[in-house]
Amino acid sequence: MIAIRDLSVTYRTAARSVPAVRGVSLDVPRGRVTAVVGESGGGKSSLVYGILRLLPPGTELSGSIDFDGMELTRASEERMREFRWKKAALVTQGAMNSLTPVLTVGYQVAEVLRVRLGMAGDEARERAVELLAMTNLPAGYARKYPHELSGGEKQRAVISMAVACSPEFLVADEPTSALDVITQAEVIATLVRMVREKGMGLLLVTHDLPLAFSVSDEMAVMHEGRLVERGTPARIATYPSHDHTRTLLSAFGLTARTGP
Amino acid sequence: MSGLLLSTKGLSVSFHSPRGSVEALKGADIDVAPGESLAVVGESGSGKTTLLRASLGLVTASAGSVALLGRDLARCESKELVSLRRRCGFIPQDPFGCVPPTLNALDAASEPIRIAGRGSRGEALEKAGGLLSELGLGDPALWKERVRLSLSGGQRQRVSIARALSLDPEFLLADEPASMQDAANRAEVMAILRRRTQKGMGLLMATHDLPLAAAFADRVAVMYKGAVVEAGPSESVVGDPLHPYSRALIAAIPGIGKEIRPPERVEEWPFGGCPYAPRCPARTGRCKEAPPLLPVAPDRDVACWNAREGGR
Repeated sequence: MIAIRDLSVTYRTAARSVPAVRGVSLDVPRGRVTAVVGESGGGKSSLVYGILRLLPPGTELSGSIDFDGMELTRASEERMREFRWKKAALVTQGAMNSLTPVLTVGYQVAEVLRVRLGMAGDEARERAVELLAMTNLPAGYARKYPHELSGGEKQRAVISMAVACSPEFLVADEPTSALDVITQAEVIATLVRMVREKGMGLLLVTHDLPLAFSVSDEMAVMHEGRLVERGTPARIATYPSHDHTRTLLSAFGLTARTGP
Repeated sequence: MSGLLLSTKGLSVSFHSPRGSVEALKGADIDVAPGESLAVVGESGSGKTTLLRASLGLVTASAGSVALLGRDLARCESKELVSLRRRCGFIPQDPFGCVPPTLNALDAASEPIRIAGRGSRGEALEKAGGLLSELGLGDPALWKERVRLSLSGGQRQRVSIARALSLDPEFLLADEPASMQDAANRAEVMAILRRRTQKGMGLLMATHDLPLAAAFADRVAVMYKGAVVEAGPSESVVGDPLHPYSRALIAAIPGIGKEIRPPERVEEWPFGGCPYAPRCPARTGRCKEAPPLLPVAPDRDVACWNAREGGR
């Protein structure tokens, strides 16, 4: 479990400081989908980058993030490099554009295995094919270049890379926001399968409330940097306790629609 | 003749480049009546934007016809085309590309009125200010800000909507008009467009967001690879989709207590014919021939051999 307690992220410039995350406490367990929802500017991404310690230099991070007894807010940069990829891997909205255009997809997945796990070339290549198959990309895809893949296929290839080191957690920041609904369904099904079959914990950050309702076991609603509501999708859909949650629900037409 | 604002028949548009041609529209049939809102829905590359642009004569049809406000575009002189377009509003997909970046928000919103020579500068500014306020940009301090420096994507999109509405169009063509709005503003923007359709404006809206289309449009046309594969009243298309592609779209839409299902994987299909056959779990040998869009029930058109047989 990743146990977040009273976490705050404050961006600082010479002129002013901007609090993006204000005292958030949240548990992200293994084998479950935890969704963080809210509007843009609500602090969702800052929370994610805070957990992975990928914030810009000078940003203030306070509170605690406990991962199996390791305190991430104070861990050395070296230990954080081990934590990322091997313990918690990140999939972002633009991840599909992070593939190198001049190398095959298989090479790029194998590279993660060689660099992170010290795997030998042949073994890494074979394993890369298996990893691509796990995200429903058939064997031939290892030899393809990114431009030969559709957006959804590229996003699935990036998920193959993210799960290459068998991380215990996947952190997905708007992983499907750039995709149409059918492609989104394919990518989400891939992520959820990692949770159900491999017992990974998935932290899914999205502004898409219906998506969170469809796939999450637990939802957390963020508003202006604070976590204003937490619960199961069924409970939040039926008895939202915070005004902002009700606003979000009605904005998505998820409550009785008012007016024409 | 028929009083339709738009009627396309077998409309096809091809784009040519040194590396080959792409048929972006393949025989699309679309009608929009006054006071009616029609949403064309489909994934990226399905031809939605090309349909809107061809409807205004911004791209030339390679086959088929477009009747805009009762006039066949193929027979229009450029002068008549301009006057037809002035009776229409157009919200392009990219607000960064269509709102003049160096103007301030108020000048940008009033520019069409001044170009068309309708009313004095004062009247134009007053009208534009009213539209911006209606669109949630009511702060006069914001009006004086340059678009380029101070407006977010969502704000620029609302300025773009104000421009399109500034000449009180009879017919509005809107390409993803709420794509840059958050959920609350999206509902606001759609409510504003609906107020216009209730007063008789026709609306043709392109969107990949089927729930949005279903909630706000009277009718939905589902497009796939440049052709309309299903059309009908929003509620019936969403509640009882007849084309396998429409069914896949609806199965993939998330919601409360709804598990989203990706489409089944199917073997390769080397036969051509129906454009959806390569992805269709319900295809048969007959799909080697492309099915036409035909009525299967009152006010329901579907381009699928199986839907037609099932529908009878």
